Amino acid sequence: MAQQVYFEDINVGEEMPPLVKDPVTKAQLVRYAGASGDFNPLHTDDAIGKLVGLEGVIAHGMLIMGFGGEAITRWIPKKYLTKYGVRFGGMTRPGDVITITGKVKSKLKEGGKNIIRCEVVAKDARGEVKVTGEFEASLPSRSS
Amino acid sequence: MADVTQVGREYRIEPFEVERTKMRELAQAIGDPNPIYATKDAALKEGYRDMPGPPTFPAVVMNWSRTEGDLLGDVKVNYAKILHGGEEYEYHREIHPGDILSGRTKVTRIEPKAGKSGTMYFITLETVFNDQNGEKVVTIRTTMIERA
Repeated sequence: MAQQVYFEDINVGEEMPPLVKDPVTKAQLVRYAGASGDFNPLHTDDAIGKLVGLEGVIAHGMLIMGFGGEAITRWIPKKYLTKYGVRFGGMTRPGDVITITGKVKSKLKEGGKNIIRCEVVAKDARGEVKVTGEFEASLPSRSS
Repeated sequence: MADVTQVGREYRIEPFEVERTKMRELAQAIGDPNPIYATKDAALKEGYRDMPGPPTFPAVVMNWSRTEGDLLGDVKVNYAKILHGGEEYEYHREIHPGDILSGRTKVTRIEPKAGKSGTMYFITLETVFNDQNGEKVVTIRTTMIERA
């Protein structure tokens, strides 16, 4: 899916192609719980959400990190990804439409490797930040 | 309230066998249509030796494998007040179906922070998974926040 990319073709300040996800659904949260093994009922049972003062269920933060992983590896082949980390911000509720954007922050050559460092952000349609993070990839060079 | 004396404790994680279906299931739950996460053929065409897991697959290994002992119990956190603050993966090599991963989790930091409604605790865990040949596969850093 991701095209071949070379270190020389990526520029600092360049944006990752944005990814707009379909609205998050309750069925997706049930499915994510089963897939990931995170069965915290806050993500699947509205009554538990209400018990802690929310309107109902909220999404697993890790699902939103997963959306970020999808966006990254649509752009940079998975095999080049060396690091991916996030901090969790706002809560995501069913119906929210999450958009992932990213940008190249730096490029460096280190120990014979060609590394790019990028930031990644997940926001909902109102612009509320759900996840901020960074990733690092080690890319092949055209000259080697 | 988190017990800061627990920093440095380590826990062994029992071997976990990676299944193709579990990898595929994660991509499907995320809604990630990338074919390298769906079939071996697609992965071979893109230069992998088999399907790789999606970038957040280490979370699946972490959640489904069994850690010996009771880490959160020993750290004495209040489960009802725990939030997932952050997650980081350092990939040393791809995870593939059939890999048998085993690892260790260490409590690397417990840090109090003053908040509006009292003291919060930031608890950082570092987990390293190795494969069946003892080769390092992934390092996972997880930050949990115990609210005041």
